[in-house]
This record gives sequence, structure tokens and C-alpha cells, in this order.
Amino acid sequence: MTVRSEPALVAAPKKIRRSWLLAILFLVWIVLARVTKGKATLELPVPENTKFTTWAGDVADSIRGNRTDGAAFKYFFNPIREFIDGFVTIIREFIAIPTGNSSIPVLGWLGVIAVIGFIVYAISYIRMAIAAVLLIFACGALGLWTDSMDTLAMTLAAVILSLAIGIPVGIWAGLSDRALKAVTPILDLAQILPTLVYLAPLALFFLIGPASATIATMVYSIPIAVRLTAFGIRGVPVSPVEAGTSMGTTTRQLLRKVQLPMASRTIILGINQTVMAALSFVVIAALIGAPGLGKPVVEALIIRNVGEGFVAGLAVVLIAIMLDRSTSAAIQKEKSFVPPSDADRKRRKFGLIIGGILTIVSIVLSRQLAWAAYFPEQINVSDKVAHAADSFIVWVTENLEFLTAGLSKVVTVGVLNPLESVLSNSPWFLTVTMITLISLILGGIRSAFITVVLLLAIVASGLWFDTMITFTQTIVATLLTMAVGVVLGVWIGRSARAERMLRPILDAGQTLPAFVYLIPMLGFFGPSRFTAIATGIVYSIPIVVKIVGQGIREVPTTMIEAATSAGSTKWQLITKVQLPAAKKSLLLATNQGLIFVLAVVVIGGFVGAGGLGYLVILGGSKPQLQGKGLVAGFSILLLGVMIDRIAQYTVARNSAPKH
Amino acid sequence: MSDNTSAISVKNLWQVFGPNPEKIVGSPDASLPRAELREKTGNTAAVRDVSFDVAPGEVFVVMGLSGSGKSTLVRCLTRLIEPTAGSVVMHGEDVLKATDARLRELRRTQFSMVFQNFGLLPHRKVIDNIAFALEVNGVSKEKRHARANEVIELVGLQGFAQAYPEQLSGGMQQRVGLARALAVDPEVLFLDEPFSALDPLIRRDMQTEVMRLHKELGKTMVFITHDLAEALKVGNRIAIMRDGAVVQMGTAEELIAHPADDYVADFTRDVPKSHVLTVRTIARPLAANETATDRTIQAGTIIRDATAAVLEANGPVAVLDGTNLVGYIKSRDILQVVGGGS
Repeated sequence: MTVRSEPALVAAPKKIRRSWLLAILFLVWIVLARVTKGKATLELPVPENTKFTTWAGDVADSIRGNRTDGAAFKYFFNPIREFIDGFVTIIREFIAIPTGNSSIPVLGWLGVIAVIGFIVYAISYIRMAIAAVLLIFACGALGLWTDSMDTLAMTLAAVILSLAIGIPVGIWAGLSDRALKAVTPILDLAQILPTLVYLAPLALFFLIGPASATIATMVYSIPIAVRLTAFGIRGVPVSPVEAGTSMGTTTRQLLRKVQLPMASRTIILGINQTVMAALSFVVIAALIGAPGLGKPVVEALIIRNVGEGFVAGLAVVLIAIMLDRSTSAAIQKEKSFVPPSDADRKRRKFGLIIGGILTIVSIVLSRQLAWAAYFPEQINVSDKVAHAADSFIVWVTENLEFLTAGLSKVVTVGVLNPLESVLSNSPWFLTVTMITLISLILGGIRSAFITVVLLLAIVASGLWFDTMITFTQTIVATLLTMAVGVVLGVWIGRSARAERMLRPILDAGQTLPAFVYLIPMLGFFGPSRFTAIATGIVYSIPIVVKIVGQGIREVPTTMIEAATSAGSTKWQLITKVQLPAAKKSLLLATNQGLIFVLAVVVIGGFVGAGGLGYLVILGGSKPQLQGKGLVAGFSILLLGVMIDRIAQYTVARNSAPKH
Repeated sequence: MSDNTSAISVKNLWQVFGPNPEKIVGSPDASLPRAELREKTGNTAAVRDVSFDVAPGEVFVVMGLSGSGKSTLVRCLTRLIEPTAGSVVMHGEDVLKATDARLRELRRTQFSMVFQNFGLLPHRKVIDNIAFALEVNGVSKEKRHARANEVIELVGLQGFAQAYPEQLSGGMQQRVGLARALAVDPEVLFLDEPFSALDPLIRRDMQTEVMRLHKELGKTMVFITHDLAEALKVGNRIAIMRDGAVVQMGTAEELIAHPADDYVADFTRDVPKSHVLTVRTIARPLAANETATDRTIQAGTIIRDATAAVLEANGPVAVLDGTNLVGYIKSRDILQVVGGGS
């Protein structure tokens, strides 16, 4: 026995030391935090400003004062705003708002439905077209026809503009290494930027209204279009490109005849993702004046009317399903490069002609007859749906109290409060030191350096206390997300059946706007910090599960066969082989989880989570706090960058080849 | 061979990857082994000082293991990769000095390439794949389809013109690759391991096919392979590459009879010598106690093909080069080669 235990003692001394160090550090931290509790926490009451936030407010005011005369506005911001405003208005006039001298848009509801059905049929299949028509009709039946149309129009406008910029830039980054190097940092930053952060600054330069909502949406969705287009171009196999070149193509011919056609599937996937990103942002952009379904969602959240919020949220979900399914079906259709047989093509041509005629008839009708122009008011189930949602929530909170109030209490008392008292209720210098040390142990010296710089910047901003509140919620939500996500991820990684079962749910969960999740959570948990946490968990679980599942699945079969033939139990196989081998995926999943959670936790400011998100929202509505709101947004950004850097350095350190 | 009579003349060709490739060529570092060069300068020499000439109508094989630089070499010849130094003269014109426009012109008309992974365009029909080079050169649809149909006949793809690549087997796909390369009626054909991705049986068919096409069309070919049997089957001359340099160049017989070093010897060890060597290589003077029969055999005959005749004879057979006597062989000499004795 003694002989056997020796190798175990020699193995991996470094690893043991690192986890021990962390444990000791936490212990010291807890003790010190208890001793120094409540001192130098830099807490700032909500209505108060610091010198810095006052200054930020003054800067905002002076920018606002410059809007008509400043050169930057006159020749840059205002022309852009006017152009985009004009573009958005044209699209809205088609389906959402009355045109010039008419009382209806260019298309009445029947016309809109027919056009949507026709387009979906043209890019995918008849079944999908029928489903799309039903989904849009349901939006009208929820009493939200005009808002739905506005959301659709805003999404469409933002998508067209995003693709017009994103696809050419993506092609450029696909062809040129230098271009890729130039855009990559911007794309990376855009990916970790929480959506709430840039609403206020954009509104400052482009006013509140559809234009700045569209620009904000573009900021969010252009990087996705760029990334996937570049990825598609770069993913084209080498040999056709070489073959094309060897036959004497010009760069243009190569792009048009070889690279673009072969990348078309990935580019369409990019369009799908761009559409979904735009939709989810258009909803949240209601905060800076985007017309559409975001408005009723925000209003319902503010007055805590779960039933009405649910109706508006449901309409968003229906539109999301419609857009996602029809663009995904278009990808499916592109799967093979072999076109359909002649008979199929003839049938399809016939279908398109019939569909076209029906669509034209519907358009004409919708412009002539009142019943086809205005969505029928008799068809309105919104009260019923709102009532059903309310009663369901009441039933759950009364009968499943242990799940709602109970869960909330366990997490709040058991995890959230203790962590909050360590992070935000102890002196700032203690917290800064400790986080820096953790960053040092996890990611190394460079990680520690960046961490300390960012933390001190947050301290300097004056919103240290609120940042730590948000940070606490982010950590708690991420821990819980990882706990659930790893279990589910291991499950789908090991079982193809579980994968088949969960995949559609995960896909659906990923396409829904984060905002929409807040409504049921608010119903279940009331206005509280836990509501923000629960929303963060629900929102980020799909991505975590997917990454973990992928990592588990990619563990080489030989490794598993070797362990199995050595007599491992299932549990040993998971804990000793699959999870360690998938370590990099676990770290990546944690990183993604943190970023996703942070984005949602700040939105939780709407439902009583406090912290930076609340300050951002407050800054948007109270002029005397606008500076504080802007600084809070900036602090979210700093926090996000810090989290991302620590995670990235930890990943890099753990995947570096060992010497 | 001089530049005037060669189809291709390659001189002192270098391809160096790394931070400062130009500085390596011509410096003392250039002669370092590959690993040392990388250690010392951070550069990797993929092709080192390669020179050779290919006669018109010849099939010139470049052979080597993976990483020997053979694929880089062929890409340098067509400038899919820009060589660091040297010259590649085809029909009196240095390809490396051609402008972009001229290079495109050359690629569209003078030479074409067949790829290991076929490199077909999955979104185009077979006929449009084959007509691609003509299309990018601005040939009208009618004309290029007419030409494509001719080549389709030539490579035995009748009936598949309207199919898409993914509907074809690997062997058929590479026929499309061949047809595509032949469509422009090029002077020179570069084949980069064209059959490595195919099953052995199909590979053999395709080798025969290429030899048939070569006989019919007489194109100059540069054929890259890692398979010695393939090299021996299709090649007039073979260059063996290692670490970016040519170690030996010559006919199959020269390589096997007189390997330049252990590396080449190792390569050729498993080749049945009787299938490659001619009787010339084993002809010897008549021993004192022997009397020649009246039978004769030509010196260029492969030993395998001479076996029956020599074994039937009751003594030494005269080996003639034309009418000149080279020497004599008898059954024991043949059996020694066939039996694998050295």
C-alpha cells in the first residue's frame, strides 16, 4: 500500500497548490471582511452624485446643447440620423404607420400577412409559410397588431442596414488577413458589451427615437453578420479556391464564382443570427424610443403588470419563432448544391404563381376594404391570455411556494447575502486586493495587472458599491448556471437521445430576447435581486449546455474506451475522464455564462435588482442623474471586460502545452 | 537540355517560409538541414535549390514523402505559392516574371492543374465545372459547352454532363478534374497527387487512363506522387525529393540500379527489380567455360519480359543494343534478380 501511494503524492503538485491557495485566500477574505464589515464601502445613496458623475452629466448636457450648431452634429451625426430615420419611416409606412394622406399603411393587415406568407414560401416551404401566417395572425389576435408590425419593421430596417454593412466587411475580413486582424478586437468587444451599456450614449448623439434605436440595434447585430460572413469565406475548402486560381480567375471572379456560392450556407446562417439579434435588440431599444412591442413590455415591467407583460412578451416570442424558423428553413433548403428535379421545379413555379396572384389580390383588398385594412377588433384574446397568465402565476406561487419563494429565499440568504457582504460590504481596498489575487492565481500576472487597473478605474468612477452589487449577482447567477449547465451538458454530451430532446428547447431558448424572460420571472419571484438572477440563469443556460455538451462529445472515443476497459464505473468515467478532458470547454462555457449573465443581470435593474443596471435606467428618466447613468453604463463595460479578461487568461493558461 | 528544347526549365528554385525568406537564399545558412535552419533563423525552407528540365511530351514525376516539399514545388511552378528565388521558364518565358495579368493569361491557356482533393465546385454542374477556365476567359457559353462536351467524351464522362459533383463517385469526380484541366488544351498539365484520395482499384484505372490520355494527346505532364509504384508506372523520369531538395533524378532504372543514397535505396527496396531493370543492367561478358547460344535479346527489354525467352534457351543469350553486342545473360542471372539477391 505504501509503495502504491507514492506516485499519487508526486503527481500534479502544482494543481493542488493552486486550489489550496484559493481556499486559503477565501478563508482569509471572509475573516477580514467580517472584521472590517461596513467600513470604506464607498456606498453612494441613489439620488446623490459625485463630482465625476456631475461632470459626466454636464458633458452630456453640453453635447445636447451642441446638437443644432456643432460641426460634428451638423455634418456627421444629424445627417446619419436623418438618413436612417427616413429609411426606417419608409419601411414602417409599408406595414405599421399611416402613409402621408391615408389612414392606413401601404399594406393593410391582410396584405402584410399575404406578403409574409409569400416571402416565406419563396425562401423555404409551404408548411413554413402557413406556420408564419398563423404566427403573425396570432400577434394580431393578441391585440398587438400595430406594435407587432412596428417591431417587424424596425427589425427589418436594422437587418437590411446591418447586412449592407456587415456582409461587405465580412467578405473583406474573409479575404484579407490584415482586415481580419483589424476587425477582430472590435468584434470581440461587441460580443462582451452588455446591451444596456450603449443605449444612453447613442441616444445622446442621435436623440431618442427610431433612428438611435436602429443604430443601437446595428451596433449589436453588425458584428454577427461580419463574423459569420468572414467565417463562411474562410471556411471554403482550399482546393476549389486553388483550382479557381490555377485556372486564371481574377480576384472578383474567384469571389463571385467560387467563394461566395460555397460560403452561401454560412452567410445565410449569419443572416438568421443577425435577424434574431436585431429582433431581441429592437425590443430592448424601446428604452430609447423604439416603437413596437418593447414599449408594452417595458411599461408592464415598470408597473409590475405580469399579465399584460406576458401578452406583449408572447407576441415577441411568436415573431421570434416566425423569423427563426423561416430563416432556418431557408438554410435547410440550401443544404444540397444539387437543385430539385424538373418536376419539382415546375410544381414550385406553379405554386409561386398562384401564391403571387393571391398575394396581389390580398394587397389590393387590404388597400380598398376596411375589414382587410384594419385588423378585426372582434378577434382579440389579449384579456383572456393576460388573465390566464396571471392566474397561472398565482397558482404557482400559492401551490408551489417551495419552488418560488422557497428557492428565492434559499439562494438569497444562503449565497447572495453572504457573498454580497464580502464583496460590497467590506472596504474597497480589501475587495480590490482579493479579486486581484484571485485573478493572479487563475490567470497569471498579466491577468492580475489588467484586473487591478480596471478595478481601480471602477473605484475612481465613484460607483464601486453598485458595481459590487451587480458583480455579486453575476457571480451567483453564473455559479447556479454552471451547476445546472454542466449536469445538462454532460447529459446531452453522453446521450444522443438527450441531445435530440433538449436541442430544440436550447435552440428556442437562445433565440428569445432576454427582456422577455423577465416577465414570468417577475411573476414567480416578485421584484427582487433573485428575479434578475433567475432570469440570468434561464437566459444563459442554453449556451452553457451547448458548449459543455460539445466538449464532452469531443472527448476522443479511444480515451473513453481505454477507461471503460480498465473497469471504470459510469461516475468515474464522467469525473475522471470526460470532465477533465473537456476542461477547456468548461472554462469557455463559464466565460460565456458570465458574459450572458452580466448582460441580463443589469437589465434586472427593472425588477428591483438594484446595482448598475438600475442606475442606468434611472439615468435615462431623471435628468439630474443622467451623468450617473452614463458612468454606471461605463462601469458595466469595465466589469464585463474584467470578467472576460480573467476568463480568457485562465482558458489560455489551461490550454497551453505543458512542458 | 537547354531552355529552347525544354517544355519547362526550372533553375535554382527556392521557397522559404518565415520572417525573412530572401535573406536565406544564397547565405551559408541555406545549406543547413531544415530543422537547424528553423532553429537558427525561424525560417522553413520548403523547396531548396531545385533545378530540372522537362522535355516536351515527357511525363516527369516528382516523388517524396509527405512534407518533402513536392506539393509546394508544384504550387511554385504555377505560382499558387510565390517562390522566393529562382526561375521557371516555359516555352522561353519566365513564369515568375509574368505580371498578374500575364499570369492569368498563362493559367487560362498554357497550363492547368489537377488536384488531390479534386477541387470541384459543388454548386456547378459537371459541364460548367469543366468549362470554368473558358468561362473566366470570356468564351461564349455555346463555344465553351461545345468544347466541354468534347473533353467529356475524351475522359469517358458521357451522360454525366448535367450531374453535380456530389452525385459522382471519387473516381468520376477526378475524371471531371482531368477533363477540366484538359478543356483549355494546355501545353503542360500539373497533377498534384491526383489519385491519392482514391481506392486502390480505382487508382489503377485512373493511372491507366492518364497514360492513355498521354499517349493520345502527348501533353507534357508534371506528376506529383508519394507512391513509388505509381511513379514507376506513369513516369518517364522521376525526381525524388527530401526535405525540400531533389536527392536524385533519373529514369526508374537509374534510380533502382544506382540509388544515390540510403534514402533512395530505402525507397526502392521493395520494388521488384525484375519489373523495372532492363537486361542491359545484368549483361556480362561470357565466362570461359560458357558457349553462347544463337539466341539474342534487345538490351532495352525489361528483365521480367525477357524471362521466358532466356529460361527456354540452353545457355547464355546475347544482349544486343541494336546490332552491337552488350554482353550475355543466362537463366541464373535472371533468377538472381527475380529471387531478390543483390
